[in-house]
Amino acid sequence: MESNVPDFILFLGRFHPLVVHLPIGFLIFAFLLEIYGRWHRNPALTMVIGLALFGGAISALVASVLGYMLSLGGDYEQTMLDTHFWFGAATTIVAFIASAIHSGKLNIPKLKGLKSNMAGLSLVVLLVGITGHYGGNLTHGSDYLFKYAPFGRSEKVVLPPIVKLEEAEVYAYLVNPILEAKCTSCHNSSKKKGGLSFQDSVAFKKGGKNGEAFIAGNVAKSEMVRRVMLDPHHEDFMPPEGKTPLTDGEKQILSFWIEKANADFKVKLADLETPEDITSIASNMLGLEDVTGKSGIPLPKVKPVSAEILRDIEDAGFKIRELIFGSGLYEVVLPPESITSKDSGELEGKLEKLLPLKLNILWLSLRDNMVQDEHLKTIGQFVNLQKLEIEKNPITDVGIAELTGIQSITGLNLYQTKITASSFENFLKMKGLKRVYVWGTTITVDEVASFRDIENRPEVILGM
Amino acid sequence: MCDHHDILRSNNRDLQGIEKQWDRREFFKKTSLGLGAMALGSLLQSEKLWSAVNSVADSGNSLHSLTKNNLGLPHHLPKAKRIVYLFQSGGPSQLDLFDYKPKLKDMFGQDLPDSIRAGQRLTGMSADQTAFPIAASTLNFKQYGESRAWVSEAMPYLSEVVDDLCFIKGMHTDAINHDPAITFFQTGSQQPGRPSIGSWISYGLGSDNDNLPTFISLVSKNGSGQPLYSRLWGNGFLPTEHQGVQFRSGKDPVLYLGDPENYDGKDRRQMLDYLKKLNGMAYDAFGDPEINARIAQYEMAYRMQTSVPEVTDTSDEPDYIFDMYGPDSRNAGTYAANCLMARKLLEKDVKFVQLYHQGWDQHGNCPGGVKYQSKNTDQGTAALIKDLKQRGMLEDTLVVWGGEFGRTVYSQGQLTETNYGRDHHPKAFTMFMAGAGMKPGFTYGETDDFGYNIIKDPVHTHDFQATLLHLFGIDHERLTFKHQGRRFRLTDVHGDVVKDILV
Repeated sequence: MESNVPDFILFLGRFHPLVVHLPIGFLIFAFLLEIYGRWHRNPALTMVIGLALFGGAISALVASVLGYMLSLGGDYEQTMLDTHFWFGAATTIVAFIASAIHSGKLNIPKLKGLKSNMAGLSLVVLLVGITGHYGGNLTHGSDYLFKYAPFGRSEKVVLPPIVKLEEAEVYAYLVNPILEAKCTSCHNSSKKKGGLSFQDSVAFKKGGKNGEAFIAGNVAKSEMVRRVMLDPHHEDFMPPEGKTPLTDGEKQILSFWIEKANADFKVKLADLETPEDITSIASNMLGLEDVTGKSGIPLPKVKPVSAEILRDIEDAGFKIRELIFGSGLYEVVLPPESITSKDSGELEGKLEKLLPLKLNILWLSLRDNMVQDEHLKTIGQFVNLQKLEIEKNPITDVGIAELTGIQSITGLNLYQTKITASSFENFLKMKGLKRVYVWGTTITVDEVASFRDIENRPEVILGM
Repeated sequence: MCDHHDILRSNNRDLQGIEKQWDRREFFKKTSLGLGAMALGSLLQSEKLWSAVNSVADSGNSLHSLTKNNLGLPHHLPKAKRIVYLFQSGGPSQLDLFDYKPKLKDMFGQDLPDSIRAGQRLTGMSADQTAFPIAASTLNFKQYGESRAWVSEAMPYLSEVVDDLCFIKGMHTDAINHDPAITFFQTGSQQPGRPSIGSWISYGLGSDNDNLPTFISLVSKNGSGQPLYSRLWGNGFLPTEHQGVQFRSGKDPVLYLGDPENYDGKDRRQMLDYLKKLNGMAYDAFGDPEINARIAQYEMAYRMQTSVPEVTDTSDEPDYIFDMYGPDSRNAGTYAANCLMARKLLEKDVKFVQLYHQGWDQHGNCPGGVKYQSKNTDQGTAALIKDLKQRGMLEDTLVVWGGEFGRTVYSQGQLTETNYGRDHHPKAFTMFMAGAGMKPGFTYGETDDFGYNIIKDPVHTHDFQATLLHLFGIDHERLTFKHQGRRFRLTDVHGDVVKDILV
């Protein structure tokens, strides 16, 4: 989410976790000295307590202001934040009152004899404790403190990895991860918005205060599906504004589970008649190969490349464009005529610079750059290529044979190259290939026509 | 050339004195108050301090040239890398070109049933007609290609490429008059002032060729009929460098780009460097983004001094290419010549080329007018598609053909056996698209027997715009620009991607 808070406010705000320890130290120190003073009273001690209290109050004020600045960044859960805020404010005010009582500036006759000094300090320390606890929960999460406690620990189930899609339990592998990603931050056992919790199947089946979350076998009457399917501006839409809505695929999975899997918590995909689009979505979710081919070629999952490597490639004269923001998948173009017959020896070196990126490149264009057969050996390693433009280069059939390992390629541009019809069998080896452009080669209309009867062949496109 | 300009300084002695005092104060402020002064000092210098961190820039992707801007684009894998939009201004008659309605022949001269018109508003030009006689097209239609698409005799060349085209027969729009309708199509709003589609794409995706503008418009010369205006390729509220640059026909494709007489241009680089430095200082002092736009435009103009003559020179095109585009293609500035120019620009990775052709406003003499304009455009359009295809560019180049609305089934003015006029009709008309992820040889949508109402799969102007952006990897709901306190987008609050026409 975009925040409109000035940077400088956030910069100061981030000092809150640092500064906040000052009042904690001062105030607890003052409290301990006060207890000590029960037995060993002396004027120096009283003065030190006064100083510690005053210092505590001032630093509490500073910490509160910084804390408020930090909260403007909006990264925190609102209700917990509010509690922390009010306890923090209370601590500061009470610290000032305690300081005033101690110094005698605030002298309420009625409190005489009630040990107001001790009482004020105790209250301050109590407040410090509560505020600190909420603050800790905000930063580290509410399960941080007792996570390794010897009591009340619940086992976190780790699902064994799945090899075959059919073995996946629909609820555990598909539905639950969606709920955990998008729903359980507000619908869990400790925070039940609308009375609904997705913590476990028992709570899930119970539903919320508007009744059951789902009706097995009936998507239309299932409240949770209705809510996520609504227009995002509708009041009942879930997840609420500001949270990430479910994707179309996730909605389909939920509907599938309720409708076709009868909302069974144990059923596996193998036991069900699974439509192709669900298979496709599920494969993507579980990182398995999509056998349906429905989503086209699934986008490869690649590691991001460091900025230095990219800069290095750009310095070599390539243009790089990220195809999907943040995906690490790239289009790389060597502008035409970057390499001419004079410096054709440099091409190999340039192409080798691309090797660290070989899995990340989906589109590659080397049009009109003196690419020769030997260079295609390097290109052949770019196995995730979907589009390859190597037109207007002195490439022959020998070079094309180097590319047959790239199964993901759909469009191959070979116009004005030196290839012949004998490359056709290599085209067939590239299973994903849909269109090959061969205008301006020796390939004739008749040759293309004779290729027509073969099954699963790419379209071979000639020109005028 | 030498200069002593490191910061903007006054030449006036008195003012220099004040500037010095100001420096001393600045010094004390910065040094005496520690952290707070640090903040204050930078506050006095720029607005940057109080601006919010851009969340995307913050996410760690630091390589400037890859992100171009910090918009987080593209949202998904694009299909299209470039687009050529062949805008047929005036409103071509779908009934005389693509939307074949054989049953109208039997209804010749009959009044258009009220049940069909259903109270649809008419323009002031035919609203006071006493009758609305049905005019079947006098042009002959035939089916072509494997896709069996209907095309009239007016477009013989286009009929050869129908298997590459995706016809949308259920287009509809909101506006009924030219200016609002064309503005609506190009900017998503009937009122002027919004950025055009090309500007949005330039803003969102940046340039693939640093030496040419990202968005170029070409207007057929000697056009008559409804006027065109530069705001149709304007940037609206987007930064100025995203506006379309119009290339003219003739000696100077871009005005004032050539060197003036008796100037050899040798010291221009030096002059521009100095100017850039001054502008940079002005930007530091005032922070006006228009100054940066101006710097960028000076630099672009400098590079265009070599790149534009190069790309607009068609002399190295072989004769068979000219023959394919037709005789007009040798006459610079005609539609056919612009189609050829468009291909050359697209080949240089210009992202958005927009052609405009005027004269499709057949209120009278519709059959003759349609044939005449088809003759001017048909061969060029078909040749462009063939040419892009044989070069493999149709793989990632989107071709769009269409006007701002369609024309009525009833005759405006007198109906005779051979002649009729047609008024504006926003409720149903035909467009076609090709290339880059569009289903080839496909027809989407259907109108009733009168060609008056859509009975299946309507596509609204905003749907078309959303689909266009989708092909470029852009979610039309997420490409926004904040202006006057509100976030704007091309499709305003409307539009659905028409997935059924995509591969």
